[in-house]
Amino acid sequence: MIRRLILLAVPFLLLFVSLFVGRLDVGPGDVLRIVAAQLFPIQRSWSESVEIIVVQIRLPRALMAMCVGGGLSISGAAFQGMFRNPLVSPDVLGVSAASGFGAALAILLSRSTLELQVLAFGFGLAGVAITYLLARVYQTTPVLMLVLSGVVVAAFFSALLSGAKYVADPESKLPAITYWLLGSFNAATLRTVVTVVPAIAVGTIGLLLVSWKLNLLSMGDEEASALGVRTEQLKAAIIVCTTLITAAAVSTSGVIGWVGLVMPHMARTLVGPDHRRLLPAALSVGASYLLVIDGVARTAAAVEIPIGILTAIVGAPYFAYLLRRTSGTWQ
Amino acid sequence: MRSARLAVIVALVGLALSQPTVSWSIAQSSSPAPSRPTRQVTDITGRIVTIPSRVSRVADPWHANNGMVLMMGAADKIVATTLQARRQPWFRKLFPRIEQVPAAFDEAGDVNIETLISTRPEVVLMAYGGTVPRWKTTADAYGIPVFMMPNTSLADLKTTARMTGDVLGPRESARAAEWIRYFDDNIRRVTAVTSRIPASERPRVLHTATGTILTIDGVKTVIDDWITVAGGVNAATVVSNARPVGMEQIAAWNPDVIIVGTAPNEENRRAILKDPRWSQIKAVRTGRVYVNPTGVYLWDRHSAEAALQVLWAAKTLHPTRFPDLDLEKETKAFYAKFFNHTLTDAEYETLMRATAP
Repeated sequence: MIRRLILLAVPFLLLFVSLFVGRLDVGPGDVLRIVAAQLFPIQRSWSESVEIIVVQIRLPRALMAMCVGGGLSISGAAFQGMFRNPLVSPDVLGVSAASGFGAALAILLSRSTLELQVLAFGFGLAGVAITYLLARVYQTTPVLMLVLSGVVVAAFFSALLSGAKYVADPESKLPAITYWLLGSFNAATLRTVVTVVPAIAVGTIGLLLVSWKLNLLSMGDEEASALGVRTEQLKAAIIVCTTLITAAAVSTSGVIGWVGLVMPHMARTLVGPDHRRLLPAALSVGASYLLVIDGVARTAAAVEIPIGILTAIVGAPYFAYLLRRTSGTWQ
Repeated sequence: MRSARLAVIVALVGLALSQPTVSWSIAQSSSPAPSRPTRQVTDITGRIVTIPSRVSRVADPWHANNGMVLMMGAADKIVATTLQARRQPWFRKLFPRIEQVPAAFDEAGDVNIETLISTRPEVVLMAYGGTVPRWKTTADAYGIPVFMMPNTSLADLKTTARMTGDVLGPRESARAAEWIRYFDDNIRRVTAVTSRIPASERPRVLHTATGTILTIDGVKTVIDDWITVAGGVNAATVVSNARPVGMEQIAAWNPDVIIVGTAPNEENRRAILKDPRWSQIKAVRTGRVYVNPTGVYLWDRHSAEAALQVLWAAKTLHPTRFPDLDLEKETKAFYAKFFNHTLTDAEYETLMRATAP
């Protein structure tokens, strides 16, 4: 019970702390008053520029990091259960590669940020739809077929992405595509948060609703259907939910690796393998993790450090540690 | 047998004496083709590069330098270029044949070596950023010399113009010298005024490199150099071109002036003016957000038009200190003189708005 309360509280605590951290010196008192002013009528005693820093810059970034981190992590946990494989990440069906190509295309065509997000989101959904159709065999979608189709689709869109980079203007568009692919929350505004959160929320709630069925599914398709689970519908529902989340995340924040792969394992060491507890824990751990990482990314240097670099630098060694500790059995 | 050898030696001595100003040598080539006279030039890495005495075929993997070659009236010598150089609207307008020149080089300066060899270049004009391209050994094996030139400052720009002219020939060399004089005159004209501006009156300038994904140009760049010449201070403290920075860092720098440096410049400028996160930045509050002009190449980068960029930037940063600087007149004179093109008023506007002619 206490552990559950802590898991619930930590992301919100970190969200609050994030508002105090940044390149600019903003007095903690001002931050507190500005936050309070959003909820209660308070006499304004701070400058508008300070309010913009806290409300328009720090808050959307932190909210975005929290939603994306939680979303990617819970998607990873659900997929690892569904595929019965601890090495699976949310982009196993090719969503990141397809979204990435959509975004690169938007940059190449000099489209606006909103158009970029729409294009990336659309390509992400389309990529997974192709994977799913490729994997259909006699009304079923065997896990192995899904993984292999995902490899095919990801390879295809990666090739298109490389093509886009190849023809991109190296003085401006090539760096933009490169930075975008490494992931960043810099583009987050209140408006993007408002457009993205519904997709992530729907996906997350969907996954939480089916979490107990995931326990059955993770025993294998045949065992699960013997216990009365309609496995095909369940798998389709899980794929729709994770794809909504991941496509929304990638389309606003770029490709952020390692969160969906490593954070579910971290959650598993905290609450065990039961998906009813694992999924909410993964949500909390992932959200907290990206809040911390983004805090570092935007304050450590004048130059913005791409999120994807930090998550890999932290995630890879932790994964290696888990690998050694469990000797590859993941128990 | 002996008399044949003697004849060759006599011929060589005769050749050497006929052109005493250049050091003649016979290329050590295994090909049976008659050896052509060569000369030697030294590149920025200190290597002595042997090139034909009359260069008529160059490969130019450096987008910006293609414009320099065009300015020197030698664009018809370019036998291999890059996709981006071919795409520059103003380049295409002034030299439509660029579309038929194979793009042997990709955006990152890497090469399709077989395309390069098939275009039979006599020399490759290459930007030197600290490393020699890895395909150089292959090029060497095919007797294609690679000539490296510097690219990180305004001073480098002059060096590169001079070196490019040297490689291309005497006519181009004279043209380069003419351009360097014009460039130096402009810098003198601007610094005569800006060097007396006290530090407190120098605006802090932010130069953006991309719009959608925010990247900016830092110090130790051509951009930093012309900002300084024009009497400004680079607001960004990061090093090198196109660095990604966070919104909060920009608020911390709080620039007095923002110059939008990439296509589509005008749309990127409007995006900044519309975004609430930028609304309290000083440059936005005071309406000092400008579009950087673009021509044969981007004015703000390693271009022939960098000579105009210093004038534009000075007038933009300090309009009252340059009352008699008529940018339109200067620009029209420049393009007429160095690109043999008389700008119409409408064309001048497209340059200023950085749109296609």
